[in-house]
Amino acid sequence: MEVINGMLHGFAVALTPVNLWWCFVGVFLGTVVGILPGLGPPATIAMLLPLTFQMNPTSAVIMLAGIYYGAKYGGSTTSILLNVPGESASIVTCLDGYQMAKRGRAGAALGIAAIASFIAGTFGVIALMLVAPPLARFALSFSSPEYFALMCLGLAMVVLLAGESLVKALLAMLVGLWIAGIGTDLFSDASRFTFGMTELLDGVDFVIVAIGVFALGEVLGNMETREETQMLPVPKGLRNLLPTKQELKDCRFAFLNGSVIGFLIGVLPGAGSTIASFISYGIEKAVSKHPEKFGTGVPEGVAAPEGANNSETGGALVPLLTLGIPGSGTTAILLAAFILWGLRPGPLLIQDNPELFWGLVASMYIGNVMLLVLNLPLIPLFAQILKLPVYMLYPVIFGISIVGVYAVSGSLFDTWMLAAFGLLGYAMRKLDYPSAPLILGLVLGDNMERALRQSLMMSQGDPAILVSRPISAAMLFLAAAVLIVPLFRKANAWRIKAIEEQL
Amino acid sequence: MKTRLISAMLAIACVAANPAAAPAQGFQPSKPVEIIVHTGPGGGADVLARALTTMIEKEKLSPVRMQVVNKTGGGGLTAMAFVAEKKGDDNVIALFTGNWLTNPLLRAEAKVSIKDLTPIVRLVLEPAVIAVKADSPYKTLKDFIEASKKNPGKLKQSGGSITSRDNVVRQLLMKHTGANWVFISFPGGGERIAALLGGHVDLMVIEPQEAGEHIRAGNMRVLAQISDHRLPGYPNVPTLKEAGYDVPIVPQVRGVVAPPGMSKEAVAYYEGLFARVVQTASWKKYLEENQFQDGFMKSTELARFFDEFTNTMRTILKDAGAKVVR
Repeated sequence: MEVINGMLHGFAVALTPVNLWWCFVGVFLGTVVGILPGLGPPATIAMLLPLTFQMNPTSAVIMLAGIYYGAKYGGSTTSILLNVPGESASIVTCLDGYQMAKRGRAGAALGIAAIASFIAGTFGVIALMLVAPPLARFALSFSSPEYFALMCLGLAMVVLLAGESLVKALLAMLVGLWIAGIGTDLFSDASRFTFGMTELLDGVDFVIVAIGVFALGEVLGNMETREETQMLPVPKGLRNLLPTKQELKDCRFAFLNGSVIGFLIGVLPGAGSTIASFISYGIEKAVSKHPEKFGTGVPEGVAAPEGANNSETGGALVPLLTLGIPGSGTTAILLAAFILWGLRPGPLLIQDNPELFWGLVASMYIGNVMLLVLNLPLIPLFAQILKLPVYMLYPVIFGISIVGVYAVSGSLFDTWMLAAFGLLGYAMRKLDYPSAPLILGLVLGDNMERALRQSLMMSQGDPAILVSRPISAAMLFLAAAVLIVPLFRKANAWRIKAIEEQL
Repeated sequence: MKTRLISAMLAIACVAANPAAAPAQGFQPSKPVEIIVHTGPGGGADVLARALTTMIEKEKLSPVRMQVVNKTGGGGLTAMAFVAEKKGDDNVIALFTGNWLTNPLLRAEAKVSIKDLTPIVRLVLEPAVIAVKADSPYKTLKDFIEASKKNPGKLKQSGGSITSRDNVVRQLLMKHTGANWVFISFPGGGERIAALLGGHVDLMVIEPQEAGEHIRAGNMRVLAQISDHRLPGYPNVPTLKEAGYDVPIVPQVRGVVAPPGMSKEAVAYYEGLFARVVQTASWKKYLEENQFQDGFMKSTELARFFDEFTNTMRTILKDAGAKVVR
């Protein structure tokens, strides 16, 4: 009953012309920000924050949240079309999305991304509305050992992301873990691998690495072949630009998987949307009937991570709104915004400001519909970019990448790093090293190290803490299973081969 | 160049249009004054800078506009280097925090220390409180410290890095009492609170305003306040000294510095400007709302404070096990 009353109240707030307008402004800006590589929602919200001081807090939070989840929609566009991740949560979308585009299914990939985003985004809002308080309390029972186990599970996904050679994938992952170690050590404030450069004290932003390795590496690799006339196929007609019934059917499980995994990981303060998208991609591949096709452009490989990163938004708002605890960079900025608007963010925020909470929830339903309506018609338009001949397209990708990276920090140093990682990506392609494990290691490395050290500090150095807690033990077991099962399969295949040869 | 010329002309126009704000002699900024902060929008220094510019504009204390410039990165070192490069520029000032004093001690990468910059004024002292979960068995700070003496290394505190104030307070208390408990670093304030409310740690140091909300919700209890005298928001909670632990109070401090080699006239101008700001009603309201303390101090005093603070911190950081490089 309370929920229904709340929702009625919420729609009354969200459907006022003023709030509809700000919701639209938010999701529109979000889409644009998502499409632009480099510039992510935290930076945008931070930049726009001073402009919202004069606004009504409810309208302001509706707009800023619109930017937050809107960016998740737009993020897939450049990932799919250009192999340039639009923001950190869309890195995984590159893996199959870009391959789909290469096979002439760019429109379908964009359509699936939009539909997955819509389904999962709406799921996230429903879950936020119904189970926020109990789930937030459950999330509190997660501590460092559980986070460590979660990161191990994520890292185990490397076997699923590996191509031909597991050894090469592991090597790439180790490089990623090393890059994650660059910067300032949280515990001792000591500098690590900074070579005396202040620019490296904050570590290496993984968006720079991802854009360099994926986008620039791809362009450099393709330039070498000198096939000037090679254009990516763009089918004619609206029908061919949208996903087929079969493709949507293939994605049924992925929509659900992305929605649930994204939300659950979003609720945990200390995980994040990039991790959510990696894990849901891994699960999708693990349960798939044709795991070998992942990475060659399967629609599920787009639907799962895109769903996860949208559903994560709803999840991330759970600890922020019910406990006053920000779980990610973006929600931390929203928390600062609440203070600036004169609200008191904390466990009583919903109770004190019901119109804000329910107005926000209702606006998120409306915003998700707006985003679908906004994004679907844009697909044919965006797909046209692939009609550009490569001698125009490649410089465009270079330009977008460089501007994207520079726009975030305004630092030339980051642009040089982009160039360096572009060369690394090129070298990895030439030597046939997969790049996804590198990004995986980079995304998880920092969190994983931190969680392990925190756990050991809690237990005074006794590693048993990692396996004596049920949730942590279960996740570690799962991680071990993910690592070992394919080895058994491989060993079995060798055995059969050996037997056959003997015969 | 062109924009500079235009802004200079605008500035002159502003001065001409606003003669009441212009004293007859001495330094006057000739173009919009830039306030450098080391956090992004919404961060502590940024919020203070925006509050200051709003007050200065509202009370018409400056003949020119003031604009906040965010130079993030390197835990403040990027901003410090930027200010140092503006040597001799009388139209640039910056907001410093305790980080600006301690970070150069720890970082071999630092090319600039606070001693290279020109002190202007100290503005704010930010107190903190020591909190436990509402259902914690420790009713007083003494309970906690006695328990940690009985079980050395068993009790836990969540906080930032070992150079943060959270840990400095812990070090001072441990040294004073001979107790011993563990300090676990978490990168974000949210995770520190989550660790406490989830029962994974026993104690934390938290901002009074933030703790207030959790107390109101019945999730937290405050044992002591890290302040020289009781805060208005916590009339019934003892200060560290009142609780029986006479340790130095290490405040979170904020104030204004300027590039190296700023002219005497300009220093006097900015000193005067902020002396007038702290007299305004809006400044007093700002302090009260955030439960901050007035820490106003003029340039010469501030230079002495920098020396003392740096020396104290050097000792504390060494005790805490941090690698001090200068």
